[in-house]
Amino acid sequence: MSEPALEVRGMHKSYGGVRALRGVDMHLWPGEVHALVGENGSGKSTLLRIVAGQLVPDSGRLWLDGRELRFRDASQAIAAGIATVTQETTLVPDLSVTENIFLGHRKVRARYGIDWRATRARAREALARLGLTGIDPGAPVRRLRPDEQQLVEIARAISIDARVLILDEPTSSLSDDEVEGLFKVVRKMARQDVAVVFVSHRIGEVFEIADRATILRDGQVVGSEPMERYDRSRMIQLMTGRALEELTLDRGRHMAKDPVLRVRGLSVPGRVHDASLEVGRGEIVGLAGLLGAGRSELLEALFGVHGRARGAVEVGGVPVRHARPLEAMSGGLAYVPADRKNLGLVLDMSVRENVLMARTARQARVRHPRRSAEQRAVGDSMREFRILAGSQLASVSQLSGGNQQKVVLAKWLGTQPRVVLMDEPTRGVDVGAKAEIYRLLNRAKEDGVGIVVSSSETPELLLLCDRILVMYRGRIVAALSREEATEGLIARYGMGHG
Amino acid sequence: MERNELQPRLRQALSGASAQRAWTAASGQRFMAVLLLLAALFVFFSLTQERFFTSGNIDALLTSASILWVVSIGLTFVMIAGGFDLSLGSMLALTGVALGSLFNDLSLPIGPAILLTLALGLVLGGGVNGFLIGRIGLSFLVVTLGTLILFQGALNLWSDTKTEQVISPLLDSLAFDALLGVPVPVWIMAAVFLVALYVQRSTYFGRDIYAVGGSPDAARLSGIKVSRTIIAVYAMAGLLAALGGVLQVARIGAASPLVGEALIFDAAAAVLLGGTSFAGGVGGVGGTAVGVLFLATLQNGLSVSGVESFWQQIITGAILIAAVLLDKVQREGWSGLRRAGGRVT
Repeated sequence: MSEPALEVRGMHKSYGGVRALRGVDMHLWPGEVHALVGENGSGKSTLLRIVAGQLVPDSGRLWLDGRELRFRDASQAIAAGIATVTQETTLVPDLSVTENIFLGHRKVRARYGIDWRATRARAREALARLGLTGIDPGAPVRRLRPDEQQLVEIARAISIDARVLILDEPTSSLSDDEVEGLFKVVRKMARQDVAVVFVSHRIGEVFEIADRATILRDGQVVGSEPMERYDRSRMIQLMTGRALEELTLDRGRHMAKDPVLRVRGLSVPGRVHDASLEVGRGEIVGLAGLLGAGRSELLEALFGVHGRARGAVEVGGVPVRHARPLEAMSGGLAYVPADRKNLGLVLDMSVRENVLMARTARQARVRHPRRSAEQRAVGDSMREFRILAGSQLASVSQLSGGNQQKVVLAKWLGTQPRVVLMDEPTRGVDVGAKAEIYRLLNRAKEDGVGIVVSSSETPELLLLCDRILVMYRGRIVAALSREEATEGLIARYGMGHG
Repeated sequence: MERNELQPRLRQALSGASAQRAWTAASGQRFMAVLLLLAALFVFFSLTQERFFTSGNIDALLTSASILWVVSIGLTFVMIAGGFDLSLGSMLALTGVALGSLFNDLSLPIGPAILLTLALGLVLGGGVNGFLIGRIGLSFLVVTLGTLILFQGALNLWSDTKTEQVISPLLDSLAFDALLGVPVPVWIMAAVFLVALYVQRSTYFGRDIYAVGGSPDAARLSGIKVSRTIIAVYAMAGLLAALGGVLQVARIGAASPLVGEALIFDAAAAVLLGGTSFAGGVGGVGGTAVGVLFLATLQNGLSVSGVESFWQQIITGAILIAAVLLDKVQREGWSGLRRAGGRVT
């Protein structure tokens, strides 16, 4: 440990008077996994974008292996050996794994053109260094699972001999065992003297993988120490600047007498097989299972997203057609999709228009919306759901992830649904907003709404749910009461060890 | 990300709710720069050309813009919904020929002939373009390129490529009379604009158009009837193209198969200058009105000044590019330009 792989000193960055970074220092040693944590708005993304060359700081200096560097754009940072992997992949879906790893001018040349044989061999080698022998270098990236695509991105980073690997919330769309696979790869990277920056909202993961953690709050470093010096509550306290509130949720022991949602024999070809379930009034039912187990597809089928589902759905004893979203809505269903930015919201539109979008869907289209009534309704929703926005007319693209998600909740709970289907309700939102969302779910539950929550975060399900259904390869393989459910049991069923 | 969260809160803290609203409203108008440019152009021509700012010339300026105006407003809705309609120019010519044929060959009275012509535009737009794009899900560029060629062929067959006189007092007064001192075409422009503005701002349908253009999947999941919305915008564009066809026949007193060929380019330029984008989900007819007036003022002013009309094309093209450039700088800052260099998306 002679000198840091990456050193950042005195980073300042302001956006039009708002100081996002106020003198941040950070050291990254070769071979360490360094967690960077902080709430949304703490300056994490700004710091990472500066390090990755995507943003020019107002002041501050940066050294890579003791050499001072100044990046004018991202390509210079990549050339210097700083690779970034985010949740959104930058792979070209229709090209092969090999071509993606050596995208650009880095393929092995033959006398004329490209030596594909040698290039493929080097791709295989890069994958092997990470223990990814299961990935076929010739397969088009489109055919890989999302987690495999992410691993290919890491293989690409290794192939350019990256000194610093930035993993920006890499686990947010992965299931537990995929996270394990990723962590194995990350540890292999670290053993090869790469410095890894790991960003995650999941505190448990940080404790599992990181050697050290730097904590940001309001653009300043409030802690940078080896993991042994932290425990969970202290870390959250440092992030939020306040002691952790105890979350007490009334989880209603009893199963409701009258089920509000009853599903019989729901099937989606190749995705969901003969699923039957019931949700009582004021009950929260969790859907657990690995990514691809059919959780999302089950919710989509109930809401008529693809319209290929078979099976009977009843809400409050009345059969509901579910070939199209509008039919499902008329039947009293609401659906909060996992992909907030593309499916939950229309980003170019205002908070008001998004909040009202679903509840006005059944109005006559030539009707004149009543402005004052709308303004009042949306104002009420914003207070009730504690949506922080400049105004009702502010574009939702300007809001933080947590506030955007609250807009989605306001949009759907405003339709007075009898059943709410939620896919990954807290993906990519910070700790504070998470607690708010749980509080709002609990409120809806008290109002007698039946709620189905699909989540890849088992602790979340254990916290929220009265019952947890575990899915494996498109089937519901276990139904666990709150008392029975444990992480271990859910993992066991989820991996198919019935 | 930090920036996006903090800015609205900061702005609110600094300025209070009403100033905040004003700020949002002003910055939301992407056509602001073009509006200023239009005003500058107007002042410039008024000062340098004494024949420019006369009631006769202003009437002529507006009247000459009427066809582009109605077609561009139709195109605006299509573009907000995330589509485009290449066929509007040939649809305009086709409906013009249809009007001539209904009136001359079938000897229909002019009123019903006009209504049938408008209905034809509605059906061609909604039933052909809209149906294929919105219901069947074909690419709007392919479909409207196809119908552009198809309509062109149909109208040449129908008219035998000949221009046919259409002599009707009602058509004549549509083009040349004045009501309360204002030319009838200007009344029509105002009426179309106000109805369009009402639809855009004050109906649920207007919101649907933005939602569908912004994110069709999110719109569908919110219970919005996406296919129906798409069919409706193409139907409206077709209806307005047919109205353009009627105005065209009225102006030249004849149904000609040769009109409308380059119209779609001017219309696209006007809509884009007005801040509506190819990406969909943003813009509006207010901006389009500014864009059309800008093009019309430029053309009229230059011709009054005796400048060759090709200059108008050069200036229009340059300003269109400058306008989108300015818009990008406003949204992303100067660094946005450099960063985007070489990136495909």
